[in-house]
Amino acid sequence: MSAITAILVATLLGQAYYSPEEAQLLFQQANESFLKQDYASARDGYEKLLSRGFGGPDIHYNLGTTYLSEGDLGRAVLAFERSRRAGGEGPDLEANLSMARARQLDKVVGAAPEESFHERVVTATSGNLVAWLFLGTWLGGFAFLFLFRVLRPGSRIWAVVVAGLLLTASLPSGALLAAHVWVHETRHDAVVIAPTLRAREFPKEEAKVSFEVHPGLKVRVMEETGRYVRIRLPNGLEGWAEREGVAEI
Amino acid sequence: MRRTGSGHAALAALALVLVAMPAWASIEFYQTADRTEVGTEDIFQLTVVVVDPPDTAQVQFPAPQDFEVLSSSQSTQRSIEMSGGGPPVIQTVRKHVLMMRANRPGTLTIPPAVLTAGGRTWRTEPVKMTVRRGHVEPPRSQAGRQPPPDPFRNFPAPFGGRQDPFADEEEEAPDRRQDDVRIPRGDSDLFLRATVDKKQVYVGEQVTLSLYIYSRVDLSSVDAVTMPKLEGFWSEDVESPTQLSGEQRIVNGIPYRTYLLRRRALFPVKSGTLSVTAAEADITTGFLFAGHRVHRVSNALDVEVKPLPPGGPRGMPSAHVGEWALSLEVSQTQVELGQPVTVKVVLEGAGNVKNVTPPRLEAPAALKVYDPTTSDKVVPNKWRIQGSRVQEYLVMPQRTGTVTLPALEFPYFDPKTGRYEVARTEPVELTVEPGAGGVASAPVPASPTHVADAASEQKNVLTANGLRPLRYQARFEEPAAAVWQRPFFVPALLSPLGLMLALGVVGLVRGRISNPDETSRNRQRAKAARKRLAEAEKLREGSSSAFYGEVEKAVLNFLEARLHAPVGGLTHAALDAKLAEAGVDANRRMRVRFVLESCDAGRFAPGAEAAARESILDDAAAVMEGWDK
Repeated sequence: MSAITAILVATLLGQAYYSPEEAQLLFQQANESFLKQDYASARDGYEKLLSRGFGGPDIHYNLGTTYLSEGDLGRAVLAFERSRRAGGEGPDLEANLSMARARQLDKVVGAAPEESFHERVVTATSGNLVAWLFLGTWLGGFAFLFLFRVLRPGSRIWAVVVAGLLLTASLPSGALLAAHVWVHETRHDAVVIAPTLRAREFPKEEAKVSFEVHPGLKVRVMEETGRYVRIRLPNGLEGWAEREGVAEI
Repeated sequence: MRRTGSGHAALAALALVLVAMPAWASIEFYQTADRTEVGTEDIFQLTVVVVDPPDTAQVQFPAPQDFEVLSSSQSTQRSIEMSGGGPPVIQTVRKHVLMMRANRPGTLTIPPAVLTAGGRTWRTEPVKMTVRRGHVEPPRSQAGRQPPPDPFRNFPAPFGGRQDPFADEEEEAPDRRQDDVRIPRGDSDLFLRATVDKKQVYVGEQVTLSLYIYSRVDLSSVDAVTMPKLEGFWSEDVESPTQLSGEQRIVNGIPYRTYLLRRRALFPVKSGTLSVTAAEADITTGFLFAGHRVHRVSNALDVEVKPLPPGGPRGMPSAHVGEWALSLEVSQTQVELGQPVTVKVVLEGAGNVKNVTPPRLEAPAALKVYDPTTSDKVVPNKWRIQGSRVQEYLVMPQRTGTVTLPALEFPYFDPKTGRYEVARTEPVELTVEPGAGGVASAPVPASPTHVADAASEQKNVLTANGLRPLRYQARFEEPAAAVWQRPFFVPALLSPLGLMLALGVVGLVRGRISNPDETSRNRQRAKAARKRLAEAEKLREGSSSAFYGEVEKAVLNFLEARLHAPVGGLTHAALDAKLAEAGVDANRRMRVRFVLESCDAGRFAPGAEAAARESILDDAAAVMEGWDK
């Protein structure tokens, strides 16, 4: 039975495309491998699913848990952050993410520099929700304007009032959506995955090393040039590190 | 029984013979040294022998400035030699033994000793000595030979008893030598001496430091003792006598009384040559008011400490040296949930008991292990520190089931074998059963704090620590783009604007359509008039009134469209005037008049021929043509 299962899994791993049923089977096999503490096989299964387009918060969560069991803090935190970004919030995710962070080597000391207003607002709000809100108020406002035009004079004033309210509401939500788009396009969060990542003063090999960071630390990628990216720590410390040492969430 | 002779007579005859012998007939007088090459630190023995000295003989010992006489003693031997038939020979040998030490290096001479008796003087030969600086080993021939005669060997106890307090120490430390104790120059009567049982040890191996008073004077008290600085050592007190208890010891032939002040076990914590600095003591000698206080400083010592050999466990503390045994004691292996279990990790053996760290009890998550309490029991045995260190853990089961306390290991280095060893325990299985038993019924004693903590424990607590499990249901999704990045978003956003634009265009078109200009309106009217004329043409075969009425209306409608004014009620003359006013040429006006009059005639004079109807149609059409040129 196990040989048949192994052959089946090997066949699945070699396929270029999966049907939903095959994807579900591979997911279950990866879970079984995890239970047997065969973390390498479990990790292979989850990564195959992701590479074939079968992503989602649950796959990222399981992959992060597998990495954490293997002791790979960097990739564990990366997978958990991706799961969270994909909407996989839950107590299990928070618990495992906290455990991974507790094992981190780096302790970032010092208060974080003050974020700009729009960044704080963006952090505090959901981009998708704001987008839906703006779209709804925008379309609704125009819908009531059209209704106003259709209705007979004398009994259509309410339509123009509602249209005015909706279009007025669409202005702040539109501004908020613009802030989300701006932050989304300019801010890139990443996780350190290299065993030791040296941050230098300049993006050059011979530049002086400012500090070192270790797997699992969440950083922000500010800009990139050549094979270097400028990373910023949560406390504002910045340096140029090799691009391969971080993975964007 | 028959008597063979008189004993009294024989004794009287012997006395007569003795008195008759000459007093200094065969005097021998000489001096010898036990070695001829010594160091300034060495003590040698000078023996002055007088054979058959007269009763009045006086011996003057040599008193050279280059030598120090540390002690002197005298012994006398008398022997009687019976020869066949002759009188017995009685010989008296008096020995004077001087313990001496040279004051300076060089080739020195011990001057002759002088014997004076009955006005006569005898002198010995001087003895030449080669003195070197420091210590000179005695030559093998001298070292191997019998020691010089001990002048005190015939003395009764205590000199004849145990002479060396280190006798048992030397059994354990064969490398220890008697000449470790050197008599300091100038303080030979009372000095402090520090000794160690080993000069070369491993890191963590015990060295025993002993501090003695060597005295040839009476001691009253020891007022203060300053122990040496022991940098690089962990020290444990082995013996600190509260009362002075002396023992006899011969040092280089000189009798001393030794008093132990302190004895400490030293455990070096680092390798290299570690120094034990000099100890100091204030000592009061003599009795009562005759005593006086002196200050004495001991010798310093060096101990060579070797590092532990390679191949040991990584991170093993340096205190883990000695001989150790590890055991695990569990108060009970079957326990009800909520009841505590006492687990003792016992490490016992010889070594630095107070500094060793027993392995920590690593229990699975199903057991809550409280911080241990540590107790030590140190029992020095023959000056070696040994004993046990016990770490007692209070363990509270958190779940029911079978839980295994894992095996423990304690790696250490055994300096006797020179190898690393591992002391181990076996795993212990605990069976935790559900039950109503509470902490109060716990059969093992527990500290109040632990009991209070345990009492507040829930039963079968499933702690929040540990990795959360996997998710067994997956919702597969494509990598989700933000809403505003999805394809529908921008079109949906722009659709109201597009719709408004489209409606505007439509309205514009409709407006244009609903408000034509005058020219097009006239054209439309003219077109309608022509259309009406075409309708009239269909009435050619019908009644005359209908036909001509339709032709007349078509022409009038056409003229209204052209003149932008109603012409229905006008007379022919008025119409002609209006046409003239509008700039219509005379020829066209005449045709219009002709058509209208023909229509009147045709309506009011029926019966006209078909050819006339055809002609009127042509005329009406001719009226409507050519206006736009």
